[in-house]
Amino acid sequence: MHVQKLTALLVTASLLGAGFAQGTWDGGDELPTNPLPCGTEAAPAPEPLPYDGGTAEGAPDLAGQPISLIDVPKLVGIGYFDATSTGIAQAAEELGNVTARTDGPTEANIDDQIAVIENYISSGEVSGILFAANDPVAISPVLKRALAGGVHVVGYDANSQPDAREWFVNQAEFNGIAKAMIDSLAAEKGEDAQFGIVTSTFTTPNQARWIAEMQAYAASCFPEMGWLETLEAQEDAVLSFNQANTLINKYGDDLDGIFGMTSVATPSSADAVTQAGLCGEVAVIGLATPNDMKPYVETDCVKSVVLWNPVDLGYAAVHVLRAVVDGTLEPGATTVSAGRLGDLQVVNGSEVLLGAPFIFTSENINDFDF
Amino acid sequence: MSSDAQIRAPSPIQRLRTVLFSQEGILFLILVVVVAVLAGRSDAFFTPRNLLNQGRLMSEVGLVALPMTFIIITGGIDLSVGSILGLCAVLLGVLWGGLGLPLGLVLVLVLLVGVLAGLFNALLIVRVGVPPLIMTLATLALYRGLAQGISEARSVTGYPEWFFRFGQGNVAGLPTQLGLFIVMAILAAVVLRSTTLGRTLYAIGNNPVGARFSGLPVGRNLALIYAFSGLMAALAAIIFVSRVTTTRSDMGSGLELDAIAAVVLGGTSIFGGKGSILGTVIGLVLIQLLKNGLALMGVTSDATIIVIGTMLILAILVNNFIQNRRAGI
Amino acid sequence: MRVSPLSVLPVVLGAGLFVAYWFLPFVTQPELGPSTAAFVSADRDNNVLELETDGAQLILFGAAVTLIAGVWGLTNAQHSRAVAAVTAVGGVLVLEYFAVFFLSYRRDEGTYLAAMGVGFWIMLALGAVMVLQLALPRPQVPAEYRLSTLLANQESAIVVALVVLFVTIGLSNPRFLAERNLLDILQGNAYVAVAAIGMSMVIITGNIDISVGSLIGLLAIISGRLAVGDAPVVVAWTVPLTVGAGVGALIGWLVAYLKIPSIVVTLGMLSILKGVLIIWTSGQRVTGMPEAYYLAQWRPLGIPTPILFMVGLTLLAALWLRYSGLGRAFYALGGNAEAARLSGFSGTRLTMQVFILNGVFAGIAAVLYATQLNVIQPTPPTSLELFVITSAVVGGVSILGGKGTVIGAMLAAILLNTIRSGMIFVNVSPFWIQAVQGLLILVTVLIDLVRRNRQML
Repeated sequence: MHVQKLTALLVTASLLGAGFAQGTWDGGDELPTNPLPCGTEAAPAPEPLPYDGGTAEGAPDLAGQPISLIDVPKLVGIGYFDATSTGIAQAAEELGNVTARTDGPTEANIDDQIAVIENYISSGEVSGILFAANDPVAISPVLKRALAGGVHVVGYDANSQPDAREWFVNQAEFNGIAKAMIDSLAAEKGEDAQFGIVTSTFTTPNQARWIAEMQAYAASCFPEMGWLETLEAQEDAVLSFNQANTLINKYGDDLDGIFGMTSVATPSSADAVTQAGLCGEVAVIGLATPNDMKPYVETDCVKSVVLWNPVDLGYAAVHVLRAVVDGTLEPGATTVSAGRLGDLQVVNGSEVLLGAPFIFTSENINDFDF
Repeated sequence: MSSDAQIRAPSPIQRLRTVLFSQEGILFLILVVVVAVLAGRSDAFFTPRNLLNQGRLMSEVGLVALPMTFIIITGGIDLSVGSILGLCAVLLGVLWGGLGLPLGLVLVLVLLVGVLAGLFNALLIVRVGVPPLIMTLATLALYRGLAQGISEARSVTGYPEWFFRFGQGNVAGLPTQLGLFIVMAILAAVVLRSTTLGRTLYAIGNNPVGARFSGLPVGRNLALIYAFSGLMAALAAIIFVSRVTTTRSDMGSGLELDAIAAVVLGGTSIFGGKGSILGTVIGLVLIQLLKNGLALMGVTSDATIIVIGTMLILAILVNNFIQNRRAGI
Repeated sequence: MRVSPLSVLPVVLGAGLFVAYWFLPFVTQPELGPSTAAFVSADRDNNVLELETDGAQLILFGAAVTLIAGVWGLTNAQHSRAVAAVTAVGGVLVLEYFAVFFLSYRRDEGTYLAAMGVGFWIMLALGAVMVLQLALPRPQVPAEYRLSTLLANQESAIVVALVVLFVTIGLSNPRFLAERNLLDILQGNAYVAVAAIGMSMVIITGNIDISVGSLIGLLAIISGRLAVGDAPVVVAWTVPLTVGAGVGALIGWLVAYLKIPSIVVTLGMLSILKGVLIIWTSGQRVTGMPEAYYLAQWRPLGIPTPILFMVGLTLLAALWLRYSGLGRAFYALGGNAEAARLSGFSGTRLTMQVFILNGVFAGIAAVLYATQLNVIQPTPPTSLELFVITSAVVGGVSILGGKGTVIGAMLAAILLNTIRSGMIFVNVSPFWIQAVQGLLILVTVLIDLVRRNRQML
């Protein structure tokens, strides 16, 4: 009878599922980690590395002359990249000799992003490309073609392979973000807190990197701290909410904190905790823009939000590209001047560091509007 | 058509009219207009370099759209092609980078997996009678899931230089994949127009029960075209990996909708029984050039998708209108 | 047919369970505090004996199902076999609680068995009887009332799938059966289920709508912006329905009067609506709606509103489709357009109407979606159209038109979310979750077809 067959099949499928059960995956990547020292101890200054970026071959000398830039974020239509493009527009206006526009795929899709960049290379109308990569490797061939065609290329937010662009504006070092997140949890819930993570997808490079650094930092500074589970939630608010609820239901009292790894996952997780009436029992810490988090910080359900200023990130990227065109930022430089942000440091060979990650709390969050 | 016309040989003007007002003819006219307008608005558009580059970018969707045309002509659909592409891409990486098999062998194995994935769709569609939309909706999730499971969120990179020829190289001045696509398109067009298989596909689309009762090998032919669909998705996967030099489990997501858009824009009826490869190719080129040309004119992607969506509806509308007028005359 | 004495049994069993439930120690402990939901259950924190309470709601659920079926059986003797089957399913749910209890009892090396009171043991016995009564001899019934005929539909298949999943996952991790999680599972896909009502109707008429995800994303933003812009909340809740109906009318007009296939129209609309959404919002999320706006966060009687909407609308739509002239005409149109025309319905107008209805349901789904969280995201929900279509077709709505019910679609939406949540609870490796999901969807679809093919033979 079919009901029995169905039962048999479902049980088989469940067993098959159980066969795959291992749950040891934390969502991090396999690259080497570099955890910062614990507490307030200063990190040892890293060895300066030789420049490992590429060069725009045969680029016309446009020093001081008007240039036109195209900004290609991971996708258009989300708040975070709207903020970066605001910063880009601000810098362009301030400099006066830069025109910049933003165009990107409507989904965070590697192929669509490549097609957009191809189009702007073909048009021959841009002398510089700013990008935030959906995939560090996949985007590299097209960027290399841009460099070979004499177009300047500067990345921000999400890197490509180093030799596929000239400079990369790093919003904050991965290990710095990781330290800020883990320290916040330890301060809020103690050094033996048990936490779950809600991330976008396991294949998103930045998120995987942060998670790996968080694990490394927790292991070295708070060995009692325990990771429970990492769940994927795409970049979807309701799915993030459902996944956070599942974490709460599955681990009950054992769950002390949830890390939101995206600006979508963090507010949704805060919502899940609020609606479950667990504010204070389950801490929510994560990457998110202050505007999205104000309601939860006001009710004291969320105590710390970690982020850099995405407007500044876009702003710095334009200044870096302008400096490359003007010849004021050359391989081997140690700082670059970036308008209202002052001098930014060069790290890791060919990266410009925006600064340390910022921690928004109830005291300062209302000072920001983005 | 009146019996009178059947007796008399059609005059050249009549023949021209038939060609011009055929589905493909109208679409081609639209394409010419679009190209002319776009070329007028941007100097960078109508250059060999840009056009060839667009050929490179559209080949993956194009390869998948060919068997999709066959399948839609039979009244079916294949939503799993994007997931098959993802699965094959991941397998390529894992078999080569993880298991260390020689890359040449891996390419063969990947094509084989594509065929098997297509055959699995066909097996349940033909044998159990699962409607194609439901079957491929289920395997859309299943194959993507397998890709995720097998890849374990790891990318495999560092392929040997010769492998990049498929996705980044040129053959006789054409991008490799564009050449491949043209060859496959001609083959597909010939098969559809001039072979028993092709005619059977139309028969299945027009009347599946009738086709079965008239002794046509319906099951075998369906198996053949779904396997072909899997094969082309696997080929597209190889080209895609070669083009972007890495593998990811989310590759090819949404590809099915792009391919279906090209096919239906090309005049193939979603209800089956009507359509052509030429139409599909024109539909494909039209969408790609529109995307490209609008971008070169300075229209952003979000506005472009609105234009493409409107275009899709309008093109079918115009076509319907003209076909109705002709039928009325 | 005469009512046999046996038909009283389910009523007795169901009522007995309800009575015995009040003799569970954690139910009668007043210090355990007020209930957290409609079903009384002890919160783990207040549970002084540290008893396993997860899954206790299953007893009440099993009792309710058995009682309802039993009362129905009193007056419908021909359904005695179906009632016996439902009773047995109720029994399985009751026994599930005991399995969970004893597993955790052994793990905790518990010593509190003596404290469980007589109700505990009576319920165990009742549960066993509920399952065993299936073996009792019963009078023959006409073929159309046989169990195999009555249960031969996709709804029953999904119910069985749900029960199997709840039993196996619950045994592996009892917390899956906690009341909060059960409500979360029902609530999580409620907006998908509501959208699936409209989608089912569209598919029943032989059409499809793949733009529904973008439409819901757009309507949610419209609703949110209205609420933020000081419109009364009622306006913010209802305008999406009218706009949805308007978009539905446009789609319907293109499909019905201009004869463009629905897949082409909605493929185009998918792009258009998404582009409009992105340009209009330019990535800005909507926040700061007034307190009264959050419809989906209300919990009348402890039950989240999305669940009430999902169940209420599905039942209404099911009855309407079955008993109203228009509803039946939809089926006729999908099964045989000519027959629909002959019975006095205009095919074009029906198509138009079904897309307008679909737009209204998309509007309701959008309001539930928008009011669920305190922020509304500016991008269409990821792959929502796929979930909606999958729910409809897994629920047994025939893509060829003319067949299927909205109840199946609702059950399928619940099944999808059960699988998502359940796979996490049994620690399926996160990499393989989607593959297992795909496999389960495939299996559910196959069962339906294998059965239908058999019936044809």
